[in-house]
Amino acid sequence: MKSEPQRTQRVSQRNTETFSAVPSAKSSANSAVKSAARYPIAHRFALLVIVTACAVAVVNTQTRRRPRTPKPAPQQQAPRGSATKYSVFLHSSDKHKGLACNGCHKVPTAWTAKRDFPDVADFPDHDACVRCHRQQFFTRQAMIATGPTICTVCHVRAAPREDARFAFGKPNDSNQATKTKEEWQFTIEFPHDKHQNAIASTRPIDPSTMKGALAYARASAPSFHHAAFRQSTFDDQKPDYNNCSICHVTNQNASTGTLPGAADSFVAPAGTFKTMPRSHDACFDCHWKNLKPASDDCAGCHKPAVAFMPAAWPKRISARFAHEGGKGGHVMECTTCHINITRASTLRGLTADVPIAACTTCHKDNKKITYPKITTIEEEFEQNKKTGACIYCHTSDVGKKKPPASHDAAAQ
Amino acid sequence: MFFSFSGGLPPADVRRGRQPPIRIGIAVIAVACCLLASGLVAHTQTPSANRGAIRLKVKFKSGDVTRELARKRFFLIKGSLDENKSLIERIKQTEVMSRECYYRGNGASDALIKWLKDNDCDSVYCREVEEKYVMGSEAVPEFEAAYDEGLRNFKSPELARRWLTVNLAADIRDGYYNLKQQTINSLIKQAETASGRSVLSVMTDRKGTAYLTDIEPGTYIVSNLVGSETESTRILWACEREVKSTDLTVAMKRPLTLSNEKDPKVKCEVVERPLPVCER
Repeated sequence: MKSEPQRTQRVSQRNTETFSAVPSAKSSANSAVKSAARYPIAHRFALLVIVTACAVAVVNTQTRRRPRTPKPAPQQQAPRGSATKYSVFLHSSDKHKGLACNGCHKVPTAWTAKRDFPDVADFPDHDACVRCHRQQFFTRQAMIATGPTICTVCHVRAAPREDARFAFGKPNDSNQATKTKEEWQFTIEFPHDKHQNAIASTRPIDPSTMKGALAYARASAPSFHHAAFRQSTFDDQKPDYNNCSICHVTNQNASTGTLPGAADSFVAPAGTFKTMPRSHDACFDCHWKNLKPASDDCAGCHKPAVAFMPAAWPKRISARFAHEGGKGGHVMECTTCHINITRASTLRGLTADVPIAACTTCHKDNKKITYPKITTIEEEFEQNKKTGACIYCHTSDVGKKKPPASHDAAAQ
Repeated sequence: MFFSFSGGLPPADVRRGRQPPIRIGIAVIAVACCLLASGLVAHTQTPSANRGAIRLKVKFKSGDVTRELARKRFFLIKGSLDENKSLIERIKQTEVMSRECYYRGNGASDALIKWLKDNDCDSVYCREVEEKYVMGSEAVPEFEAAYDEGLRNFKSPELARRWLTVNLAADIRDGYYNLKQQTINSLIKQAETASGRSVLSVMTDRKGTAYLTDIEPGTYIVSNLVGSETESTRILWACEREVKSTDLTVAMKRPLTLSNEKDPKVKCEVVERPLPVCER
């Protein structure tokens, strides 16, 4: 048991040690010994454990709350003054950022636009570049070797009589030479919720037409606007859910190779996916003028992003679902399965978001009367007991895993 | 070294309120283990494990027929009907002009009003303008005029029809929709200020069904905020629902059914008013 004066002395000594900027070797050794006496090993060990535990808890929490996103690649910009600096155009460069979009991009483009509707269809005119980059075009240094590098931003080669240009933007259907690197510098902002409000057609549907769903061949529309604005008769024997089909029609192409995120080498057959709008026509038909954001307000829809390569196909992990597939065709309304789409105010973080409960709206034994050809979840569970796999809906590797609780609940 | 408190005085350290080092160490390790365990357990749970869902079904009886209320937006407001009394009162008192009265007031033709009514459209954007509405006996005068202007601008009959809405006057195009949205947005703002939570919304499908998912458990009001027009009436709902942490599959088996018929199982404020007769 220490006396009171001894404890006071110890405290004052500790303070001295703490605030001493450069302790001598001797004092360090002494303090180490004293410190060891003051803090037994159990204390130190306990402290170490608690610090580790806190760190693990914090890391876990962080990991849980924030889904890991790939670190954006830094913008690749060549050093100032180098020949390659002007071979790539970056909307995000300091100077370009300060310009108004329609300062360069004229709406509609009055150049060689090959469209059947007024569009921003081609690169800005020479003046848009030359008014700031005269030096990069016309100085002697610019003419060295293959000519002004800056020309290759738009032109396939930097030659005075070279007329061929890369395709302007992607997607592009103007039959120009395609740029090898399909890089995007913008993402698109699209609020599904507002558009669902506006495009909420409740076209009367004759129940008898539902029966002929298999014969449905409507989705062979070659491009967006043909599909969206064709005569809406019910001759094609399938209900037309105008609120979605106005932009998304069946993609009649099979996926090129394995899908991104697919757990095995699953290649999606034709009819698996729906298309996305491929041109400004999908927006300009309403937003050409007056209705905001109008066509001259590029930033109303296009938001700057770190340059990225868009995936050619949607991400799929294991589901083999085909929108046009199934033995009886999938005839239900889009929002029957995509249950959250009418509340999505942005495309960011948007996923297909189809719960198993949506599948069992139809794929259950008690729906066999209405849909006699369906494969039900109960049948798949039976199959799983025999073969250990659920491969009707899932790719083989995921299908071999134990079905999650949600599937059991959906089957009950 | 462990101390027994079963008999006699505790050791001197303990009597003076100072815990012996090893004992403190054990306590600290125990706390640390708890922290570690909680961290790991939480890590294995999905974020939505403690969330709830509502399957909403909306129908109305008109004459002898019961129909589903298709394509109407419903909002989820935190709190009970009692907790949101002032908001509910305001919702009930808010009057939005009927669609027909709005369009008649803005000089719309009978043909346009019929075109909108046929498909329950609040704006011209809700359905394709087919060729028969641009020319011929069923033509809508406003569409004809816009088509002609489009033809002059675009030089293509197909484009003039497809892009017809760009040549319509704003009040005819989406004036009524915007008017309604203004009222709805004002009510949402009040609801969000009162509850301190953002208001979710979903739209019913063709069969009057919608899903509100990933909801924090608690009491909520589901409402369409402004009355939805049916054939001859306008119906407003504000119904209370206790949301428990549950899987969507379970929620699907217990839908929240809104109707203009009395249902003792659902705590609802339903206001149904006849649509007014409009004067030009």
